[in-house]
Amino acid sequence: MDRPHPLPDRTVKILQWAMAGGFILFVGAIVTWIIHLIRTAWWLRDVPSASIGISLVAIPVFLVLLGVVLYVFWGLLTDRSER
Amino acid sequence: MADPADTRDAILLAPIERTGRGFYWAVAILSLGVLWGAVAYAVQLDGGLGVTGLHQPVSWGFYVTNFVFFIGISHAGTLISAILRLSRAEWRRPITRMAEVITVMVLFIGAGQILVDLGRPDRVMNVIRHGRYQSPLLWDATSISAYLTASLVYLWLPMIPDIAILRDRLGKRKFFYTVLALGWQGTERQHKVLNRAIAVMAVLVIPIAVSVHTVVSFVFSMTLQPMWHSTIFGPYFVVGAIFSGIAALIVAMLIFRKAYGLQGYLRPIHFRYLGQLLLVMALLWFYFTFTEYLTGYYGGEVEEMKVFWGKFWGPFSLFFWGMVLANFVIPLFCLVRLERRTIGKVLTASLSVIVGMWLERFIIVVPTLSYPRLPFPEGIYWPTWVEWGETAASFALFALFYLLFTKVFPIISIWEIQEGREVGLKEVEERLLTYLPDTVEPEFTPVDRGG
Repeated sequence: MDRPHPLPDRTVKILQWAMAGGFILFVGAIVTWIIHLIRTAWWLRDVPSASIGISLVAIPVFLVLLGVVLYVFWGLLTDRSER
Repeated sequence: MADPADTRDAILLAPIERTGRGFYWAVAILSLGVLWGAVAYAVQLDGGLGVTGLHQPVSWGFYVTNFVFFIGISHAGTLISAILRLSRAEWRRPITRMAEVITVMVLFIGAGQILVDLGRPDRVMNVIRHGRYQSPLLWDATSISAYLTASLVYLWLPMIPDIAILRDRLGKRKFFYTVLALGWQGTERQHKVLNRAIAVMAVLVIPIAVSVHTVVSFVFSMTLQPMWHSTIFGPYFVVGAIFSGIAALIVAMLIFRKAYGLQGYLRPIHFRYLGQLLLVMALLWFYFTFTEYLTGYYGGEVEEMKVFWGKFWGPFSLFFWGMVLANFVIPLFCLVRLERRTIGKVLTASLSVIVGMWLERFIIVVPTLSYPRLPFPEGIYWPTWVEWGETAASFALFALFYLLFTKVFPIISIWEIQEGREVGLKEVEERLLTYLPDTVEPEFTPVDRGG
């Protein structure tokens, strides 16, 4: 069933890790945006509790998604490196 | 991993390897629809929202109806696929990919409706820079972003082994597939990693999907507008979303079954099971609709009753009764007995539900705005060719994206079908023995490779 596959060239590897990096940037941007909204609400005294309430749900969801994606990248790519 | 010499599922790779004349015709026709929408959007961008039928008091029309409708359709995929995976329903194997693709495609199109509805798309920057989390609109933006991200991940993860098959078997796009396959070789460790990730995503995606349509309903129910301010709007929207999602999935399955000759994979039994699910959802939808309208009628509040009678006997009655016919009466007649002519009945019911659910979204959005609680003049909404163009383009764009996807990736999960043959049969037998009384329980060795 399983058959050996030649090691990918450097460009493929760079692109694959760049995809993981892109996902980190994406989730980082969303978390930064949510924090920016909390900060704005806090400064303007504009019901910051609403922002904090939403962020308590939203930020962990995005972090779990990031965790799953990084786990897959790490698990699959490092397995190939070990062969 | 799939054996490259195994050619039993070659038909699943055929649409990627060869392109027939039908594909070009389909792309051309769908592109015309998209072009109509592009022209309409250019006119709207130039002349402003004044070129549409939107006005005061009806400031939400086709665009918001389409938004709610498409976000609802998105529940076809991820939610249904996740539930079938978690419950280990073996008949899921040829269905899940198609369902997951629907989710991702329609989420893009649904979110795009809001950009069109803004009139000036640059105003979306106001949400990013000055958004206020007191507004349910921003809850929507956040939850849809989370759902889209989760759905993309949930679509991509189970595709990795299939992308590796494409990398190894196909002569074209080798670099592209090599990058996306993440070095998949089907080792035990890779299977373990992937199955864990799919299992986590299947659990995570269900509450996200449910919350998304609940939050979409909050856009309406958090206001004090007549017939919007309802506590059951959340579950009512979720039920409607799953209902329309199953119908869209059935139609997509039937189109690709015919176009790509997938009769061996998408068998009548699949349509029968999905038809039964559709019937259950039709009954649930009727229950929620009945409850919603009965509560409003019994309360008899003056402003609510204006909207109520406007829907029942007034200018919106054709849409309202059309919705009841399409969402309840026709599906009930078609689906209550599925022994004979299963596919024809299920297709009729599904097409009817798609029309009916669009009407339902329209009936929720527009009549309330036509009879506002505040002392604005009442008004009827007439869409112009611009809104018709955008709506036609949205459906065409969805179909076009879907079609193009099938030219790049297999529309049925090859590795899951192979796994079903190799280990699924044995696993089901072992599992069945553990359910039944008075049977010798086998030493259970979970062959959990499907997630």
